[in-house]
Amino acid sequence: MGARPGRAQRSRLVLIAAIVIALAALPFVYSDAYLLKVLSFVGINVIIVAGLSLLFGYAGQVSLGHAAFYGIGAYTSGVLAVRFGWPWIACVAAAVVVSAIGGLILAVPTLRLKGHYLAMATLAFGQIAYVAFVEAKGITGGIDGLSGIPSPSLGPLELRSAESNYLLVWFFVGVALLLAGNIVALRPGRALRALHASEAGAQACGIDVVRTKVQVFVVSASLAGLAGSLFAHLVGFISPSSFTLVLSIELVAMVVLGGMGSLAGAALGAVVLTLIPNLDAVVPGMSPRAVELLQDWNADIFGVILIVVMLFMPGGLAAGAGRLAGWVRRRRPAPSEAEA
Amino acid sequence: MGVDAEVTGSELLQFIIAGLKNGSIYALVALGFTIVYASTKAINFAQGEFYMFGGMFAVFFLSGLGMPLALAALVSVITVTAVGLGFDRVAIRPRRDAGPLTLIIITIGGSMVFQSFARHAFGPDERPLPVFTAGPSIDFFGAAIERQTLWIWALTAVAVVALTILYTRTKLGRAMRACMENREAARLMGIDTNRVVTISFGLAAGLGALGGLVVTPLTQTAFNVGPSMGVKGFAAAILGGLGNPLAAVAGGITLGLLESLSIGFLSSTYKDVIALAVLLAVLVLRPEGLFSRASREKM
Amino acid sequence: MSLLAVREVTKRFGGLTAVDAVSFDTHEGQIKAIIGPNGAGKTTLFNVLTGFERPEDGTVTFDGREVVGMRPHRVVRAGVARTFQNTQLFDEMSALENALVGRFPRTRTGMFSASLRLPGTAKEERLAQEEAAKTLRLVGLGDASSVPAGDLPHGRRRLLEIARALATEPRLMLLDEPAAGLNSSETEALAEVLYRIRAEGITLLVVEHDMGLVMEVSDDIVVLNEGKKIAEGPPRLIQKDPAVIEAYLGEEEADA
Repeated sequence: MGARPGRAQRSRLVLIAAIVIALAALPFVYSDAYLLKVLSFVGINVIIVAGLSLLFGYAGQVSLGHAAFYGIGAYTSGVLAVRFGWPWIACVAAAVVVSAIGGLILAVPTLRLKGHYLAMATLAFGQIAYVAFVEAKGITGGIDGLSGIPSPSLGPLELRSAESNYLLVWFFVGVALLLAGNIVALRPGRALRALHASEAGAQACGIDVVRTKVQVFVVSASLAGLAGSLFAHLVGFISPSSFTLVLSIELVAMVVLGGMGSLAGAALGAVVLTLIPNLDAVVPGMSPRAVELLQDWNADIFGVILIVVMLFMPGGLAAGAGRLAGWVRRRRPAPSEAEA
Repeated sequence: MGVDAEVTGSELLQFIIAGLKNGSIYALVALGFTIVYASTKAINFAQGEFYMFGGMFAVFFLSGLGMPLALAALVSVITVTAVGLGFDRVAIRPRRDAGPLTLIIITIGGSMVFQSFARHAFGPDERPLPVFTAGPSIDFFGAAIERQTLWIWALTAVAVVALTILYTRTKLGRAMRACMENREAARLMGIDTNRVVTISFGLAAGLGALGGLVVTPLTQTAFNVGPSMGVKGFAAAILGGLGNPLAAVAGGITLGLLESLSIGFLSSTYKDVIALAVLLAVLVLRPEGLFSRASREKM
Repeated sequence: MSLLAVREVTKRFGGLTAVDAVSFDTHEGQIKAIIGPNGAGKTTLFNVLTGFERPEDGTVTFDGREVVGMRPHRVVRAGVARTFQNTQLFDEMSALENALVGRFPRTRTGMFSASLRLPGTAKEERLAQEEAAKTLRLVGLGDASSVPAGDLPHGRRRLLEIARALATEPRLMLLDEPAAGLNSSETEALAEVLYRIRAEGITLLVVEHDMGLVMEVSDDIVVLNEGKKIAEGPPRLIQKDPAVIEAYLGEEEADA
C-alpha cells in the first residue's frame, strides 16, 4: 500500500473497468466460436477458483475434493432440468444450495483437522463423490453420463449461441469475483487470513474459528456448485470423468500458481492453466502438433508448476507481479508523491 | 457376489486370504507414509507413485532390457529408492521447514510428474509381470492360495523384519527413532537430520516399490495406479496410527481384511469406497489411530 | 466487587497438576502480576482464564459471569483480551490489519453483508480503521501501520500484539511475558505503555519474569510455584516473603 491509497484504488478500478469492457466487447469484435467456448471454460474455472481461493488461499484450509462440489452442482442442475423439467434459473439456484449443503456436510466433521489430515479427508470426500456419480446410475446415468441437458434460458429467451453462453458465464464470473473481492477486502476476509496465520491469535481476537471455517467452506462449495451448473447447461452432457481428483488438483495448482493470498492472482492462475491445453484458441496459427504436445504434457506442466512455485516463488504470480511493479517503480525516476 | 449369498467356511477362508494378501501390500505402502511422517511430520502425497514405479520399472527391466525376473525386481527397488532419495534432495529439502501446506503441494506436484513420466516412458497401457514361481495354487482347507500370494507374504515379512532390525539394532535406526521423537532435540544431539529425512524418503520409496512389483503378477500395473493405492496406504497408516511402523503394518492388515470381508458379505460395487470410508471415519473419530497411543497434536 | 475472581482452579495434564487449587482476585484498575519459577503453571493459568484450556475444577468469574466453559472467542467478547508468550501475530498482514482483526468483536460485517457491501459496511470499516490506527498510536506503532507484522523487530511485535488486544476494547488484559526478549530501553517503553493502558481504565494481569518491571509497575503480585499459589500481596511484601525467596533460590540451585 502506498501513501495514497485513493490513487492506487483509482488505477485499480481503471484496470478492472478495462478488463470488463474488453471481455464484454470481445464477442462483438471477434466472434470465433472455438475461442468463445474455450474462454467460457476459462470463466467456469475462474468461478471455482474464486471460491477455492477464499478457502485455501486465504483461510489456509486445503481442499483436494473441490471437483466434488463442482460435480454436485453440475448433477443437481442437470438432473433437475432433464428429469424434472425445472427452468434453468431454478436449476442454478438449486445447484448452489445443494453444493452449499455438501460443503456443510464435509466441513462440520472435518473441523478439527488441519494440514495434511484435512487434505486427505477432502480427497477421500472427492473420491466418494466420484464413486457416487458412477454408481447412482438411476439418477446420474452412471459412467455413461447424463445427456440432453437444455441450454440456459430465461423465459422464452434461450441462450444457445457461443456468444450468449460466453457472456452469461463471464457475467457470473464478474458477480463471483465482485462478491469474493468484497469479502476479502473487509472484516470477514481479515478473519480468514487471521485463521490461516494463527488460529490461537484469531481466537484471541474474538474470531469464532469453527463458525468461520464452516462459513468459508460453504461459500467456497456454493461457488463451485454455481460453476458446475453453468458447465452442465453449456455442454449439455456431463459424466463422472469431468469431476475427478485430477481436476481437484488442477484447481489447487491454479490457486498456487496465482498466489495463495490473492484473489486476482488465483483468477489469473485459472486463466493461464486453463488456456495451456487449449492454447490454439488464443494463438492463431498454432500447429496442431504443438497443441497435441501441450495436451500430452499437461499433467507434467501442472506438476512442475506446483513444485517450482513452492520452491522458488511461494507467493505465486501475484507476488511476482508485486515485485515486478516494485522493480519498475525503482527503475523509473519516481514522481515525488509516489514515494511512500 | 450377491448381497444375500450364503458364505461358506471355505469361502470365508478365501476372503481372509485375499484380505491378508491385499493387507500386506497396504502395509508396505503404509510403512512408506509412516516412515516419512516420522522424520518430517509431513504426508508424502507421491507415495502411491513409488508403488506404481515398482511395478513399471520391473516390467521395463524385464521386457525392455531383458533382465532375468529376480534381477529386474532388485534393480527396480534400487532405482525407485534412488528416485525417493533424489526427490527429497531436489524438491523437499529446500522447503522442509516451510509447513505442511507447502509440502503437501510439493508432493502432489511430484506425484503428477512421476505419473506423467511413467506414461511418457512406458506408455498408457496396462503392463503384466510373470509370477515369481509358476505352478498351481495351493489348497488350504478348501481355499486356494496362489503361489504369488506366498511371495507377497514372505517379502512383506522380510521387509518388516529388516526394518525392525534397522530401527532397533543400528546407529542409523536409533538416529531415525530419535528424529521421530523430537527432531529439534535430535539435531541438538548431533544427529544429521537432513540425512535421516533423505534416507526416510529412500526407504519409503523402496518399500512402496517392493509392494508394487510383488503384486503386479496378480493385478497388472499401469501409470495411473498410484493415487488410489496411495489413498489406501494412507488409510492403513492412519488406521494404525501415523508415525509408528508396527501400527502401520497392523493398519494395513486390518484394512485388507475389512475390505475383503465387506466385499464378501456385502457387495463388490463399493469395494473402493471401503478404504475411503475407513479413512474418513478414522480421521474424524480417532485421528491418532487404533493401534497407537501417541497423543493428539496440540494446537 | 472484584473484576476477576479465580476460585480453586485446578488443571491437570495426565498425572501432572499444572495448576493446583489457585484462587485470587483482580480489582478494577489494578496492574496485577503473576510471577513464579519456570513451570510454575503461569501460562496454563492464563489459558484457563481465557478459555483456551478447560480446568478440571474451580470457577473463574469475570464481571459476574462464569468464564469456565466459554470458548476463547466468547471470553474476548465478554471483555478479556490476551497476548501470548510466543507472539501469535498474523505475519503477512500489516500492523494496521493486525489491529483491525482485533476490532473483530466490536464490529459486525459478516460474509453476506460484506460480499454485497450492504449499507453501513463502509462506515463501519472506516470507523474500524480509525480505531485500529488509534491503538497503534497508543503503543507507539503509529509509524509502522503499513509494515507487515512479520517484518517488525521483536520488541515492536510484542507491542503490536498488545495493540491488537487493546483493539478488542477489553476491560481486562492478560499479558503473557510482555517483556521477554526486550532490551532495557524497550522494557522502559513497555512500562510506559502499561501505565497508559491503565489510564484508559483497563485492568491488567501480567505474567512476567523481569522482576525490575514487575516490582515497578504492579500494585499486587501473585506468586505461583509448582502450580500452587504460595504468596500474594504488594511488591514490597512479596520481596521479603520467605516462601517466595525459597522458591526462587531453589530454581537458582537447579540452574547451577
